[in-house]
Amino acid sequence: MLSDTLWSLRAGDRCQILDYDEALAEKYRVRLMEFGFHPGEVVTCLHSPSFGAPKVYRVSNTIFSLDDEVATHVRVRLWSPDG
Amino acid sequence: MDKVILIGSPNSGKSLLFNRLTGLAQKVANFPGITVDVGVGRLQALPDVELIDFPGTYSLQAISAEEAVAVEHFERALEDPDVRYVLCLIDSTRLEKSLYFTLQVIRDCERHGKRVMVLANMIDVLDSHRLTLDAAALSAALHTPVLPLSARSGKGVDAVIRELEKSRGVAMAPPRAHLVDTPDELLRGTAHQLAHRFGPKGDVLVRTQTRLDRFFLHSFTGGISFFLIMYLLFQSIFTWAAPAMDAVEWVLGRAADAVVPLIGNQLARDFTADALFGGIGAFLVFVPQIFVLTFIIGLLEDSGYMARAALICHKPLRLFGLTGKSFIPMLSGVACAIPGIYAARAIDSPRKRLLTYMAIPLMPCSARLPVYTLLIAAFIPSGTTLGGLVGWQGLAMFGIYFFGMLCGLLVTGLVSRTSEDHYTDLPFVLELPPYRLPGLQPLLRNAWNRARHFVTKAGRIIFAVTVFVWFLGYFPNYGTDLGSSWLGYLGHIVEPLFAPLGLDWRYGVAILTSFLAREVFVGTLGTIFGIEGADENMVPLVEHIQSSDMAVGSGLALLVFFAIALQCVSTVAILARESESNSLVAKMFIGYFLFAYAAALAVYQLAGLFS
Repeated sequence: MLSDTLWSLRAGDRCQILDYDEALAEKYRVRLMEFGFHPGEVVTCLHSPSFGAPKVYRVSNTIFSLDDEVATHVRVRLWSPDG
Repeated sequence: MDKVILIGSPNSGKSLLFNRLTGLAQKVANFPGITVDVGVGRLQALPDVELIDFPGTYSLQAISAEEAVAVEHFERALEDPDVRYVLCLIDSTRLEKSLYFTLQVIRDCERHGKRVMVLANMIDVLDSHRLTLDAAALSAALHTPVLPLSARSGKGVDAVIRELEKSRGVAMAPPRAHLVDTPDELLRGTAHQLAHRFGPKGDVLVRTQTRLDRFFLHSFTGGISFFLIMYLLFQSIFTWAAPAMDAVEWVLGRAADAVVPLIGNQLARDFTADALFGGIGAFLVFVPQIFVLTFIIGLLEDSGYMARAALICHKPLRLFGLTGKSFIPMLSGVACAIPGIYAARAIDSPRKRLLTYMAIPLMPCSARLPVYTLLIAAFIPSGTTLGGLVGWQGLAMFGIYFFGMLCGLLVTGLVSRTSEDHYTDLPFVLELPPYRLPGLQPLLRNAWNRARHFVTKAGRIIFAVTVFVWFLGYFPNYGTDLGSSWLGYLGHIVEPLFAPLGLDWRYGVAILTSFLAREVFVGTLGTIFGIEGADENMVPLVEHIQSSDMAVGSGLALLVFFAIALQCVSTVAILARESESNSLVAKMFIGYFLFAYAAALAVYQLAGLFS
């Protein structure tokens, strides 16, 4: 099991959200939770564009784009169906 | 009068449903956060029922000042005894996100004894992919009616009307309070479970979206398509709107030709010809540009592409304190600041929107072009370099355009790093909506509304200022000599201000009148120098300036001054309207004037070292 951040995912990677780090402002944390990025949720990275552009993630049936200012503060564990 | 509240998450189709129910034209777009104001209208089917459309919000737990205002208004509206129902619109294709918000709404309504009707929108999209939503079971679980509908096609809307009709004039029992004390964390878990139990199964919708995203967000194909789409947008403002703008001018010209000769009194004739028709023309000429740009931007928003464009531009613009969503307003500003400022409405972060407002007036708009053309023709040699490949005048034009854009980015970069945070910022967490085929009617209606808003709101101010400046230029000598008019007098007063740039009172007058519109600078100089039709044919004016003793440094200083100064009454009026802050616009006007003046002075002094 590898612990990492949402930002470190490459296209096609799946992960399970562990928690948010302390540096993430409360209001950002609230918004992420509302969008479905809550601990335990499985997230798939759909696109990881070049030059540090925001990455595209799927959570539940919705697609979001997050930049590194937010995604680096979301701690995740790479996920595989067999656990 | 009975009232019904309509509330929903951004991008749930709320404005489209509001339009369908009321026949009014609210802005409709497939881009999160598009509803800015509270809309009110009467239901077409039940004219004695008022529908109140609240701004789209992701949650009742606000994280920005703007969201807090929306939530506060909603809470206050729930205390209104006339409110019979709260319609909570959800997106059936993305149920979990919608349901968390819905549960918050139901909880708040239970606290206020108001009934909720959940409207599950986009049922047509589910139908077309053979997906289903178990509305009856969801309704039972929520203890609230759940009605599937399509705001786009109108399917299911009749059922909503029937439900509302049933509740009219009947004393309604308060809803069953089953969520009153439930904390947000539990609601989140409940939303997750309900979505999985009753929502559409499978991921066919997401897969379709992902396939298109693979093309539009790909490093190569995404870049090419972005460039082509932005080129199309730019062309639409510059080229496609031009014939309509010419037509507006032509019609006004013919109308003036027909009306003015019928007026006997000289003063009334001059007022009608120059102030009245000039004042109307000053704002009416922008209408085609605003209409075309709003239509194209609406097309991009409705189709879902706008969010992708924001994603593509985000990283480079973030260096300057902006967001990817700032790109389209700024690009629009290269044609004209007015539609650009309107386009900035789509930026959800108040702080980023403010920074974008600051950048737009520095984009090299088309009204600057005649000024640049005159000054470059007068002061930059017409020769070429690199074997004839590069012309000096073309290079100067490119340079001054680039200079304006660079100034815009530097200003926002500086302000974002130094200013106190008076406006809330929001994280770049952008929902990428599904791709959809936009409907023509809402797009046209929206473009028409935006153009009408411009005419009724900003047009009055532009017209008033135009008439005022005409008044100053006409009296006390009844238009016989601009130099000895009150405006000329003002030119002499401001002469000491522009003297350090090597400019005399005549240029001072031209700078004053160019506040109406920058291109007026050329016509005013022509009038002062006694050259007829200088705005149509600049050659005699260019020759006159070249034969005068004006220094090259003064010409370059004027170029820089016009690249920066906020010399446009229309832009000032619209900025004040859209930002709802006169003090902000006053600060921008003064700040950009000082910046323009300092830069022009530096250029003049620098040029003096080389001459």
